[in-house]
Amino acid sequence: MQTEDPHTEALVDSTPVVEFTGVCKMLGNRKILDNLSFGVQRGETFVIIGYSGTGKSVTLRNLIGLMRPDEGSIRVAGEEITTMTNKELEVMRRKFGVLFQSGALIAWLDLFQNVELPLLEHSKMSRRKRAEIVQQKLELVNLWQDKDKFPAEISGGMKKRAGLARAIALDPELVLYDEPSSGLDPVIGYEIDKLINRLRDQLKMTQIVVTHDMESAYTIASRIGMFYQGGMLQIGTPDEIRTSEIEEVQHFITGGRKGAVSRRSTTAILKGRSPTLSARLEAGHDEAHTATETGGDAAPEIMELEPEPSPPEPENKP
Amino acid sequence: MKDFIGLRAVRGAGYTLLLLLEALGYINHAWKRRRALFTQMHVIGTQSLAITCFFMLLVGMVFALQTGIEFARFGQTSLVGLVIVSAMVRELGPWMTAFVLIARVGSSMAAEIGTMKTSEEIDALEVMSINPVSFVVMPRLIGYAIMGPILTVFGTLVGVAGGALVANVQLGVPLADFLRFAERGAEPLDVYWGLLKSLVFSLCAGAVACSNGMRTSGGAVGVGRASRNTVVVALTLTVFLNYLLTSFYRMVKRLVAGIL
Repeated sequence: MQTEDPHTEALVDSTPVVEFTGVCKMLGNRKILDNLSFGVQRGETFVIIGYSGTGKSVTLRNLIGLMRPDEGSIRVAGEEITTMTNKELEVMRRKFGVLFQSGALIAWLDLFQNVELPLLEHSKMSRRKRAEIVQQKLELVNLWQDKDKFPAEISGGMKKRAGLARAIALDPELVLYDEPSSGLDPVIGYEIDKLINRLRDQLKMTQIVVTHDMESAYTIASRIGMFYQGGMLQIGTPDEIRTSEIEEVQHFITGGRKGAVSRRSTTAILKGRSPTLSARLEAGHDEAHTATETGGDAAPEIMELEPEPSPPEPENKP
Repeated sequence: MKDFIGLRAVRGAGYTLLLLLEALGYINHAWKRRRALFTQMHVIGTQSLAITCFFMLLVGMVFALQTGIEFARFGQTSLVGLVIVSAMVRELGPWMTAFVLIARVGSSMAAEIGTMKTSEEIDALEVMSINPVSFVVMPRLIGYAIMGPILTVFGTLVGVAGGALVANVQLGVPLADFLRFAERGAEPLDVYWGLLKSLVFSLCAGAVACSNGMRTSGGAVGVGRASRNTVVVALTLTVFLNYLLTSFYRMVKRLVAGIL
């Protein structure tokens, strides 16, 4: 099923499929991505974890070209994404499958038509061949019996599965997931995780998953990257992350039970804000001085933080 | 600076215009997207027919009644037919139909696209390399542009009929008299001009609706805002354009009359 041409076969493991080098992105006056660098190997499931609202989704958006970074380079299969024209991006995106947080199914098409859509738009297949592929993909996610239902008639978990079927309809080399288990109960979340593993094992797809569900991350990850303050704090196998000695990583993966982040960051996280670069730098030389002060001084510190970030918006490309 | 309202309006207007041109540029995709186009024509046209006719019927009736009262003072009630037909064909038909369509279709179109935007459906299309302008905007805009003038024809006819009914029943104008004067109310050029106006209004309102939808951000509140802005902007724009077009038409007509 996998479309493997000999050219890419030769590159196995030598060059990463996705490579971020020194990527920076400002949104408003906040630095969301700050010198972000990491690579994703062919055939692995790379999981990006990190606090909510800190820029994990922005990372994905930069990767698929919905946003352009201010600095740095993003390479996909050796090709530079950041300088592509819209036309080139359109071609490049056919190698991607993306599962959005809500599934993002087209409301007026039923599940069959939704999965058929990319085939209809980008291939010259016969109707029969298309139906065959749609059936295969929908059976893979266990939704063939619901093919005539519309997105409004199905549950969130089903929407995600259907979104996944659509994402892999064209057998992409790279599948991206934005919070695949958010909003699902643990059982259905685990179903999605199993699907993700199946795609890796059976179809050898390279996958990048953004999540803050650690249970899910341990289940699916080949490697985990902890996203923190605009960059990768630690990248390692699930075991390496679990036994990490970095305070911030422990703090995140244990849900704040262990480890610690600098005090400014904690306040920021509790307030639902991401600690910014400036806050981090200040925290460095402020620590000794704030530690001696009483808790009553917390309030002005909050005030010093950057203003409430606006939710990241996709750039309009009229 | 970024919240300076004038600048935002200019940017919005520019985006709307570009969107309109881009959507018209994808008109060659219309056959490929015929199913979506027909669906939109059904939603915009067929489903609006009843309300448009009802609306225009009452507009025609009230209009006949009001002018009839004035004409009665001069004993010229049979002139009602002339006034109604000329007003309906040139002004009330196209604009009132546009009005109904903006309220019924424009607002929902903006809300629909806005919801698609906030639920990442537009992003998903883009990621699938499906141009949202071709996939979402074009069928709506073209459907609107086709159905607007068609509804105008129905609306105008029903409006005149409503006028005739009131003239006959309440003003005591025989149908024959009504029709005799009605004939002089509009020449063929007026009819075409009325339809052209309707086409312009439809394209305008459609573009404003789609553009507001595509620029939606900020969840449910944003969708509400998009829908509200659409109605306000589209109504203002069409009523203003109506004035410009009518002035222009009058000027041209006088110029032509001068030459002849």
